[in-house]
Amino acid sequence: MSRGNAISLVIVIAIALIAVAAASILHDGLSSRAKPTALETMLARNARHLAIPAGARKLQNPAAETPENLGDARLHFADHCAICHANDGSGDTQIGRNLYPKPPDLRRDETQELADGELFWIIENGVRFTGMPAFGGAHGSEQDSWKLVRFVRHLPQLTEEERMEMERYNPKGPEDLEEEQEENDFLRGQPIQQKPEGTHHH
Amino acid sequence: MKTSMKTKLYVLLAIAGLVASVALAHGDKKHVVGTLEKINADSVVVKTAAGKSVEVKLVVTTMYVSHAGNKDKPAKLADLAVGDRVVIHATPKGETLEANEVKFSTPATAAAATAKPKS
Repeated sequence: MSRGNAISLVIVIAIALIAVAAASILHDGLSSRAKPTALETMLARNARHLAIPAGARKLQNPAAETPENLGDARLHFADHCAICHANDGSGDTQIGRNLYPKPPDLRRDETQELADGELFWIIENGVRFTGMPAFGGAHGSEQDSWKLVRFVRHLPQLTEEERMEMERYNPKGPEDLEEEQEENDFLRGQPIQQKPEGTHHH
Repeated sequence: MKTSMKTKLYVLLAIAGLVASVALAHGDKKHVVGTLEKINADSVVVKTAAGKSVEVKLVVTTMYVSHAGNKDKPAKLADLAVGDRVVIHATPKGETLEANEVKFSTPATAAAATAKPKS
């Protein structure tokens, strides 16, 4: 194949790929409910890596691994982070599932292998073009963020008792509180509150 | 300079990847409230207030919580019994429901709770 033909072939393939992508977007739209492709995930992780200053990775966690610090961070996480990350760090919440990109499962190697300083930097500064906001500066103290780093390390060993304690600290709206009360009343022997087909959306 | 070029390349590739990706996600969670009618190895059937039987799949990640005396404590599948009152938080997966959490109380604990005068 001559060089000219090879270039033409590459151009035709590129145009075909763009046409397929355009047709796909026109047909399905760009919903944030979609699951990012492996390529996007790989690129996003590398972009995040580049966004964190090299010096930040070398920072040491000044918050000791004490039951008090872990307890503080656990309740802090339940109150501020669990709405997207879930109490167990899985990201399996209504908001977490429908963000684009999805919050990572904090228990997995992709997060656990980050340095303490990287986790701290992400909590303090957020991640651009994602749902992760910056919690540093006016929104919280550095000490709280370092404690959260300790808690992220603890997530793979989170116990059922800890998870259930966290549920009490999750922010809830009036409807959620009412629903929770109705469900607990039912479990305590009160008559069932009849809903359509016995099931309803969360 | 090298880092800048690398960053630009990642941004370009990210845009290309973004354009090429289309997929669907799962729906919202549902709550199934009722009385346990049947317990299988990998599912339970709940009789709802409307009299309908709803099957919910149990998976390895399903969490079990016993509710007694206004307190929750961790439990396991073997603790469930037919006749228990249950509140199941489940995720729709196609035509089926997959349980994330099964909270339950036994008829005895429910009866004891209703017998107690509220303070």
